[in-house]
Amino acid sequence: MQADALGERVVWSGLAYLLVVLPPAAAQVAARFDVSTSTRYVWHGISRAAGATAQPSLAAGLRVGRLSVEGGAVRHYELDRVTAGEISEIGAGAGHRGEDDLWGRAALEVGPARLDGGVVRYLFHGDSTRGGLGAGRNTTELYAALSISGTYFNPSLEAWWDVDRVHGAYLRAAVSGPLLGWPFPPYVFTFFDGDIGLNLGQGPDVSRPGKPANFADRGITHVGIGAEMQLRGGPGPGAGSLTFSVGFRSQINIDDATRFNGLGKTNDIVVWAWTGVTLVLGGERQSR
Amino acid sequence: MKWALRALAAAAAAVAAACGPARLQLPAALSPVPRPDAATPLQAGFARVDITPPPGVGLAGNGPESGRARGYRLRLYARVLVLADGGGNRLAIVVADLPLGSALLQRRVAAVTAPRDGIGVDRLVIAVTHTHAGPGHYFDATAYNDQGSSVVGYDPVMVDSLAARIARAVHAAVADLRPARVAWGSRRVWGYTRIRSLPAMLRNIPPPTAAADAPPGLFPEYRLVDPELSMLRVDQLDPADGRYHPGGAFSIFAMHGTGNSPVNDLLDADIHGIVERRLERHIDRDLNQRGDTPFVPRAFYLFANGAEGDVSPAWPPQSRCSVPELTVLHVLDGPFTRPQWTWRSPTAARVAACQHAARQAIEWIGAALGDSAVRLFDALGDAVSDRMELARAFVTVPLRDSALALGICPTPALGMSALAGADDSHSRVEGWKLLGVFDVGLEQGSNNSSGSGCHGQKRTMLQQLFGDLPNRMLVAGQLPAYAQFTVLRLGSRLIGTLPAEATTTAGREMRSRMLAAASARGLPVTAALILGLTNGYMEYITTPEEYTAQYYEGGSMLYGPGEAAMVSRTLVRLVTQLSGGDSLPSARVPPLRLEVGTRRKIVPRRRSGPEPVPAFLKAWCSGDTLYARLRLGSVGDWAVPTGDVSPQPRVAIVGDGADRPVLSWDDDPLFELRLEDGRHGIATWELRWSGAVRGRYRVRVGDRESDAIACQGGRLSDN
Repeated sequence: MQADALGERVVWSGLAYLLVVLPPAAAQVAARFDVSTSTRYVWHGISRAAGATAQPSLAAGLRVGRLSVEGGAVRHYELDRVTAGEISEIGAGAGHRGEDDLWGRAALEVGPARLDGGVVRYLFHGDSTRGGLGAGRNTTELYAALSISGTYFNPSLEAWWDVDRVHGAYLRAAVSGPLLGWPFPPYVFTFFDGDIGLNLGQGPDVSRPGKPANFADRGITHVGIGAEMQLRGGPGPGAGSLTFSVGFRSQINIDDATRFNGLGKTNDIVVWAWTGVTLVLGGERQSR
Repeated sequence: MKWALRALAAAAAAVAAACGPARLQLPAALSPVPRPDAATPLQAGFARVDITPPPGVGLAGNGPESGRARGYRLRLYARVLVLADGGGNRLAIVVADLPLGSALLQRRVAAVTAPRDGIGVDRLVIAVTHTHAGPGHYFDATAYNDQGSSVVGYDPVMVDSLAARIARAVHAAVADLRPARVAWGSRRVWGYTRIRSLPAMLRNIPPPTAAADAPPGLFPEYRLVDPELSMLRVDQLDPADGRYHPGGAFSIFAMHGTGNSPVNDLLDADIHGIVERRLERHIDRDLNQRGDTPFVPRAFYLFANGAEGDVSPAWPPQSRCSVPELTVLHVLDGPFTRPQWTWRSPTAARVAACQHAARQAIEWIGAALGDSAVRLFDALGDAVSDRMELARAFVTVPLRDSALALGICPTPALGMSALAGADDSHSRVEGWKLLGVFDVGLEQGSNNSSGSGCHGQKRTMLQQLFGDLPNRMLVAGQLPAYAQFTVLRLGSRLIGTLPAEATTTAGREMRSRMLAAASARGLPVTAALILGLTNGYMEYITTPEEYTAQYYEGGSMLYGPGEAAMVSRTLVRLVTQLSGGDSLPSARVPPLRLEVGTRRKIVPRRRSGPEPVPAFLKAWCSGDTLYARLRLGSVGDWAVPTGDVSPQPRVAIVGDGADRPVLSWDDDPLFELRLEDGRHGIATWELRWSGAVRGRYRVRVGDRESDAIACQGGRLSDN
């Protein structure tokens, strides 16, 4: 636990460093605050909580030319009272704080392409004796992503490596595209997105019984699709904005781990909705 | 419980009222019965008023591509010509440097001028130059206040301010009425305008042909324009010497006010402003030999628009900036939060390049047209006469209520091609397809293939899926519901005014029918003209053939394919009703019930307290451009706070010699003032003057001057 607390302090210090110490004159500094609520918390296709959840997060970043360095933290709260057998990170009858995630990354933009490399530290606060996820599930993942911005489609490919607990790779391919962009303020954007997960090394290893695993089998874990609407106001590029978002997502579960929906319960398809508010301060200026 | 329900209902009503469009009801102030005085000769009076609003207002005309004004270049004026005769007739023609006509504005002005000056709605013509670098927020329909600019909303302060200033100018022109001599003439000006929707025009039957004197080397889109510059020259009697002196002119020429790129942040009178100033200064300096030419010319040139619906100025393609693109905005979208979407604008460097090209085109076209106006004005000097018959006919047409009788569609509709923008200046959604595959009609020539329904070939929003429902629910209510038409007879010319932009061919047909009607009535007129963008705005009027092409103009003909015929019939009927020396029955001018959009406080309000003391903060030169930062006035100040015409500039560039010659001021194509900072309501401006040569200059505000600024001159690229 002490190591995790230390890691948390390091991330906070890093964020402060990004904002206060590092910026050269030509840098663009930005901060982002999000609060979202959802009817389900799903990560990499796996349902972590099936009730109402809330996720406050903050992030800060620094951009110099095509390169940006960013970091942030997210908290996951479960708002419902969890009963025994229900899928949950906190566990039956426990508190509300399920997970903290700290992340940092560097990104390089080259034309329409963007290359990301980063790290995520997962810290679980649930009670494993009551069916939650405890500190024993803490882990760290490295990831790299390549995304392309297009007029109609924005494909991306992410590769994740668990370097702490599971020690394996997971791929995620995603695509998003606009359905509507209202050109007058307050701006409204409606778009779809979809993703597919592929487990390459985060499943069980028959040669090493007892090795932790995230998925049941090697191969496709899930196929998801969703839609989102963003309503944005604010002074504009470079100055900040306030965005209200609402969306839904549905997912076909293929791997047993993604189908798991509580003790003795499985779901082939899950649908959930979410809404959130995002405040961005600073940020990207005109740059096309 | 009842009180709670009542409170809830009241709250809901209050919210609905606050969120819904502002509604107005406007009666018409008709002109009083004239008092003839046979001894009174033909009289003319001119006036001008500054209508340059403070920075912060939206620039209207390019929809979402129109930005917020940060300052101004050429000031905006409303120029007024009042004509009067012995029959007691008075007619006021206003040409304002504004984007669109507004029935709301016209009625507000008439409410003041009818009782005071005898000029009611039936004798008041407010035309606009159609500069797309003019302010919005004063229109008579929701669509234009809420979607005419990226700065959304209707602001009553804009309407009140414009109306008060224009009414004051009409009053001043009436006070200036003096015996006058006038002459009509015209001249063809080739090469500075072009047809922007040529494929639509070529659908006309018979096909359009160029005039016999069209220069053979021009491309078809340049040869098929209506090149006629019509002018009424007005000389006024100077009581001091008992002689007639050139006073000014009124012209009609078909050309969009789109010299500036849509990506523009300055209020500007555009090409029309340069043409106006060129003739005005010629009259002052060359004809009247006024060596004391003040800041604002004494002469007046009302340069109005004709049937310019499909006519662009001859600006080059590089003067149009790229439009914003819808794209993912990766702002701190970490692994657990989602990316945001945005309209991403082109870079500042690209914008600067296209704006520079646009400025060059404006100056080139403006100078050429201005020189043509000068030559025409001079040529008319020997033809002036003190005789000119004046008559007028006016009607307000409730479009929706009378649709069946008028032969137009009862529900207005906007075509998808209108959303794509004009063929030479696309909007950001032009060519966009759903998922890159499914055509939603956002392109020129987007047709309703079945051609069924009142709107025929017009393809409306989501029509293929939901029929007329989306248009009825989301669009129709925002569009104008009235049209005001006037026919003026000014001597040998008939002028049909439209609250719209007629295409070249549609305008030609209207003129022909008006002339035929006048001939049938035995009126001694030799030509009919179309004065567009007047006393309201109902977008475009095309011929039925052009409508079938569903280019931008056809998609913007709101009341369907019968609209051109309706307008022609109305103008012909007005020709038969032309009269002078009478008052109109009020039945011809019903009250307007308008929905004007979201009421918002957009025009910056003046700060209370003492006027800030002007201060020079910084000044430097780079190449041929002199820059200065200066504190001047409050952010809510109009360029001329009182609404009069300023006797001197706010800011001037003077030479550093002993006599301090004035070289430029804040009404010059080379001079730009941008608001840099408005904290505490005090305005800090950035001045740019791009006329510097090697030498030393000072910036002058009132009686204060900056320190001398040394400039090397020449373009940066020359160094």
